[in-house]
Parts: sequence; C-alpha cells; structure tokens
Amino acid sequence: MIVLSVESSCDETSVSIVRDGKEVLSNIVLSQIDIHKAYGGVVPEIASREHIKGITMVFEEALKEANIDKTNIDLVAVTNGPGLIGSLLVGVNAAKAFAFSNDIEIIGVHHIAGHIYANQITAELEFPLICLVVSGGHTELILMKEHYDFQKLGETMDDAVGEAYDKVARTVGLGYPGGPIVDKLAQKGKPSYKMPNISLGNNYNFSFSGIKSHVINLVHNTKQRNEELVIEDLCASFQETVSEVLVTKSLKAIKEYNAKMFIIAGGVAANKGLRKKINKRITMVKVVVPEFRYCTDNAAMIGIAGYYQYLRNSSTDDMSLNGLSRMKMK
Amino acid sequence: MKKSLKRLLIDSATKYLYIALYEDLECLGKYYQSGNNDHSTKLMVEIERIFKLNNMKIADLDEIIIGIGPGSYTGLRIGVVVAKMFGWNNDITVKTISSLAMIASSYSGEELIVSEIDARRGNSFIGVFKNKGKGLFLAEEELLTNLEDYTNSLENPYKIVSNGEPNLERILNSNLLTEVKDIHSLNPNYLRITEAERNLK
Repeated sequence: MIVLSVESSCDETSVSIVRDGKEVLSNIVLSQIDIHKAYGGVVPEIASREHIKGITMVFEEALKEANIDKTNIDLVAVTNGPGLIGSLLVGVNAAKAFAFSNDIEIIGVHHIAGHIYANQITAELEFPLICLVVSGGHTELILMKEHYDFQKLGETMDDAVGEAYDKVARTVGLGYPGGPIVDKLAQKGKPSYKMPNISLGNNYNFSFSGIKSHVINLVHNTKQRNEELVIEDLCASFQETVSEVLVTKSLKAIKEYNAKMFIIAGGVAANKGLRKKINKRITMVKVVVPEFRYCTDNAAMIGIAGYYQYLRNSSTDDMSLNGLSRMKMK
Repeated sequence: MKKSLKRLLIDSATKYLYIALYEDLECLGKYYQSGNNDHSTKLMVEIERIFKLNNMKIADLDEIIIGIGPGSYTGLRIGVVVAKMFGWNNDITVKTISSLAMIASSYSGEELIVSEIDARRGNSFIGVFKNKGKGLFLAEEELLTNLEDYTNSLENPYKIVSNGEPNLERILNSNLLTEVKDIHSLNPNYLRITEAERNLK
C-alpha cells in the first residue's frame, strides 16, 4: 500500500511517499526556520504564506524522488491537527484537491500520532509500549496496548518542554530555536545551579513553568548583582532537572504497565542530553528513539501513522475534512 | 465544430464563497453563499457535488479562473491552494483575477464601481471599475484605505459593491485576467506585508 502524506501544521511544508507504513520512498521537507529566526519564533501569517508558496513544488519533488506515478498511490494522509490553523488549512486543502483530482481516498491524521509513528521507521513497535512525547507544543506520556491505540497517562499542566527550552534560551539571549542551543551548551557545563523540584508528586503529569520562571529570575538577579553567569552551567542545570523528571516518570509508567518497549517522539526527542539519560537509565526494556531527521516535523511520519490508522479503522474521510488547531487523539 | 471550453471559477477572498462550473457561457453548476469561516469544509465538498452532478472530473477542465484577493483572510488561501493544486496536478491553464474585479462584475450599472473587501481596523481593499460595452475596466489601481475617506474624494457618481455573484461574460470581455505561466508561482495577492514584517522594519 502506497501512501502520499502531507504535513503543514507549523513551519515545515512536507510531502512524503511511504510504502506499507515502513519504507520511506521520499520525504521532502521545506523548512521555514531561517525565515522565522528574525522574529524569534514562528509567525503564523508568514508560515501560512510560505506553505502556499511551496506546496506544489514539494508535491512534485516527493513524486519525482519516489519515482512513483500518481496512479499507484492508494491513500492520501494529511495532518489535520493540532497546529497553527492557517498552516494546517493549506496542507489539508491541497491534500483534498490532490486526492479528488486523482480519485484517491483521504484520511486526516493527528500530528502527535505521526511523531509517535516516526519510531516505526527505526524498529517494529512492540506492545504494550510507553511513549514520551516531547515537543514545542506537547509533553505527554502515552500508553499503547496495540497499534493506533493511545491512552494518555499524563501531560503538562502548563508549558510544553520545548517551549520551556525556547524561553530559557531567549532569556539568556541564545536565539531561536533555543532547544538545540541549550542542549549543546549543556554538554559543556556542570549542573551546578540549584533548580526547583518539578516532580509534581506521584503521578504522570508535568509542569515546566516553575523552572522556567526560576531560570528567568536567576538570570535577572545574577545580572543585578553584577555576578558572572556561567551559561553552560545554567543550561546543564536546567537540562538535568528537566530530563530527570521526564525519565523518572517514564520509568514509573514502564514498570506500572509492564511495557515491552519505550519510545520517544517529538522535536525534543532530538535532545542529546535527554537521549543520554534515557540510554543510561532505561535498560530493562527495548528503547527506540527516532532518527534525528524524523524527530522534527515531516510528512513521512504522517504517512506511517496514516497507514496504521487506516489498517485499524478502515475508514476514510471525505471532502469536508477540516484543519483543527486543537484536536484529540483517537 | 469548435470544441467547447470547460471552466471552473473560484473566489474565496471574502466571507462569500463562489464556485461555478461553466461550459462556454452555460453554467453547469454553482455555489454562491456567505459562510462563517467555513470555506475549508465547503469548497471541496461543493466542487465534488458540482462535478459529480455533471459526471465530470477535474481533468476534463480546460481552464481555471481564480480570484487571488487582495486580502489576508485565511479563506482566500483555501481557494488559491485548491486552484494551484488542480492546475499543477492536471496541467490545466490557470488565470488569475482580482477578487475585487470578480465582485465588481456582478454590477451592471453605468456609474463608477467601487468594489470593496473589508480589511478590518476601518480599512478596505478597494478597486474602482467601470463597465464599458460588454466588459469591465479598471479605473483606479487597487489600494488599501478607509472606504469613507476614499468615496468622499470621488467627484463622479459611484456605487459601492461589497458582494455579488460574479458575471463570467463580463469577466471574459475585460482585460483583467492574467494567465499563470509557472503554476508553482501562483500565490494570493496580499497587497500588504504581514504585521510582523512591518514591525521588523
């Protein structure tokens, strides 16, 4: 089964062609990151304009690279939420127009299901599994008992972990996107700054606004006292505390639900500090992390998720399929 | 015998969504209704309905005429991306036209036609047109300004037109259509840069 997939929920325009939910025949990603850098974050209206500018070109490249004729495509899968609504609508309507023109069925896919299924490229998923979703918009622990069955165990009560990273980076003046820069500097520092306890007790929920405010205050006070701020150490301290809580709660879920596998998903899955801690601490089950290039937004992951969604539900959407800024995972 | 020309017209620049399928000047099916931020759920549904009704496929089209704004209403992009995809996928000729001209074509009077699209914050996208013979002509370059201020400055009789079903014959007899040479370059006409870009300057 050949799936053509489309992803445009934030600032990457991407089209991919995947065979049988595993073999990525092409995965074209047109990133807008350099455009949004000047604004210190993604500007929704600019993102929407860039998506429509590049969309057909990305379709063309994806088909060319996969060397596939449109008539061989069995299904169109498109991210229809959650995300920036103006961005989503470009991808959703392009996908619908493509599906209709070529008489192919279409399904809408949840963006986070896509991030989870990026792991399927690396290894066959084994159930039950625990998935830690960490990105700029999400921080969740999910239990999967079988394919395309998602049970949310806990989530962030305030900021997503990637958001906290970006805000810390901005406070210290490290630029955008801040996550990778903080991660890089943290490798060179020691976790010498005292950070607040962010464990939130014996459950699966997270909170990152407290530690974010703590870092902002710390930077402010250090400057006022004219003391030197060791940015590497600050990044290391922040990263150590954040990754510790993520790994501790993941471990608790793995034990409670007798998981056979642990996977991570989302942009922060690329974080080296987090990966190191996971490899060191989570040793009793098979650990799968997505390849770096499939951690950030891409359409291949949507094509894989779409394939499994179709296998499980064997239902498709119609031409009224809409983009949704907020959307529950089913 | 001359082959007939099948055309699809789309304009989604305002809260009114316009879709029409024509064979020469005969309308085979259409949709023209005011919506509530729902162009995304309506546009492809109505296109599917109209094409099925006529037992036609997108590949049967000879030409697409797409209203490209001005504007920055999210709905505008929905029409443009669908036209862009049809044009690219099926290698169909796409012609762009100002949505202000599309709106103006609904009016048959002799006065100056002040075609207007709400641009929020007291401003409007304005295009001034005039009917001449069977066609429509642009009398003033399109601009973004306050509608009342603008009309106060007009000396000749005028008619403000903010909506109305486009008239294909008048559009075809005008010189306001532009053929898209490279389909990848088809974009809405935003007429102004984003607020973020303005603030950055």
